[in-house]
Amino acid sequence: MYELSAKQEFIDAIKSGKILAKQCMKCHDRNLATVYFCRKCGNNKFENVIIDGDGHVETFTIITVPPTGFEKYVPYAWVIMKLNNSDLRISGFMSNISKPEDIPIGTKTRIIGFDERGILIQQEPHTSTN
Amino acid sequence: METVCVLGAGSTKYGKLNDSISDIAVQSSINAIENACIKPNEIEAGYISNVFGIADKQVHLGPVIMSNLGIPDKPSLSIESACGSGSVSLREAFANVAAGFYNAVLVTGVEKVTQTGTEWTTTYFSYCSDFFYEGQAGASFPGLFASMARAYLNEYDATEEDFAAVAVKNHNNGLLNPKAHLRKKITIEDVMESPIVASPLKLYDCCPFSDGASSVILCNEKFAKSHTKDYVKIIGSGRGGSPAALQGRDHMTTIPSTKLAAQAAYKMAGISPTDIDFAEVHDCFTIAEIVDSEDLGFFDKGKAADAVRNQQTELRGSIPINPSGGLKSKGHPIGATGVGQAVEVFDQLTGNAGERTIKNAKIGLTHNFGATGASCAVHIFQNV
Repeated sequence: MYELSAKQEFIDAIKSGKILAKQCMKCHDRNLATVYFCRKCGNNKFENVIIDGDGHVETFTIITVPPTGFEKYVPYAWVIMKLNNSDLRISGFMSNISKPEDIPIGTKTRIIGFDERGILIQQEPHTSTN
Repeated sequence: METVCVLGAGSTKYGKLNDSISDIAVQSSINAIENACIKPNEIEAGYISNVFGIADKQVHLGPVIMSNLGIPDKPSLSIESACGSGSVSLREAFANVAAGFYNAVLVTGVEKVTQTGTEWTTTYFSYCSDFFYEGQAGASFPGLFASMARAYLNEYDATEEDFAAVAVKNHNNGLLNPKAHLRKKITIEDVMESPIVASPLKLYDCCPFSDGASSVILCNEKFAKSHTKDYVKIIGSGRGGSPAALQGRDHMTTIPSTKLAAQAAYKMAGISPTDIDFAEVHDCFTIAEIVDSEDLGFFDKGKAADAVRNQQTELRGSIPINPSGGLKSKGHPIGATGVGQAVEVFDQLTGNAGERTIKNAKIGLTHNFGATGASCAVHIFQNV
């Protein structure tokens, strides 16, 4: 059996900088907690795993023509980051980014919260971009 | 399985249209019916593709179209698969004719969005993403494809100028298409100097928001032969899926659903990518055409930019891509696009594509996907 939705639990973990993942009890593949069946083996028995929300930029864009509601944040970045110590990726919003040099691919990043802008990602302090 | 044929095809002009969504859908349906030289009452079912009918105050379009065609008793359905709706609808129509349920059906794709303005259209389109992870976090569609473009630039020998060359080529083709939305010659410099929408993509890397409708008549071969009219066979039809969110994919520079759909279509047709004479592919953004042409097997991974530089994909190149002008120049009325590609291939293979006709073409391919390729359909057509 599984609960109706793990989304709130997932969001709560994001707010504390963590990723709630489900590890398949059969094949041990990890999925984000918002998935209910294992994509590798189809099993629906999981155990919860908490993963640190730190990783690096896999790719990104800087948006200057936004959807409604995001006008006041322009320019901002939308980032896909690869999590450390996991095959999982997670994407989200990063504020105050105006040029590609600000967050080159590989820049260390972490999950810092969740609000009306969805999952929030920030550059790790003291990251050298040189 | 019945052999499925395209007996007729028609489109409205693509662009900013003033008529209502149902008016333009009916108009393109009539164009296809007349082109097929049949009467509406020979149609046994309607497959209608549309995404944002609600923005023009009309959903449940099927019965409205069928009623206007004088066949209100014929069944119809609406199919929504984001920007891939048209080809997904074509596939369902194909499957039903192939299975023998119907002798002849109408496939009409339609979209009417330009009345909503850029900001709201950008917002509506973002609802086609995996919204919790993407749209909600401010990712526009240009932004999602820009992320793929950034990864491609990082991984392969390609430049932003190479992306721009795709736009220049498709605008050159669109100039020869009277129904294209953006009929304007552009240069690499025009693209590079156009405003940034979502870096590294600039305005001229992006297809326009368009209104428009396209229709085809599909039938079995017995029905086609009983009408003295040129027809084209569909020899391959394939579908595939990808993780809805980009973050769920192992690689950012390939679209898994394209590969799956293409493999299935090539297998059904019993051919390989080298047998394709030309293709209409989903170039919602310039980077998409680069990635598509690799995923469809026309070029090795990472080599498509080089092929564009060498003019291989131009109208008179070794593998012309998007002779119609593609989504970039012909326009992208999202519910109609996948059907519109079939219209172009039909016109090409029956020698009715005017100045842009590709000489001696026998086999054409269409490739159309929804969102960032979460859903995809590929079809292969052969002349008779």
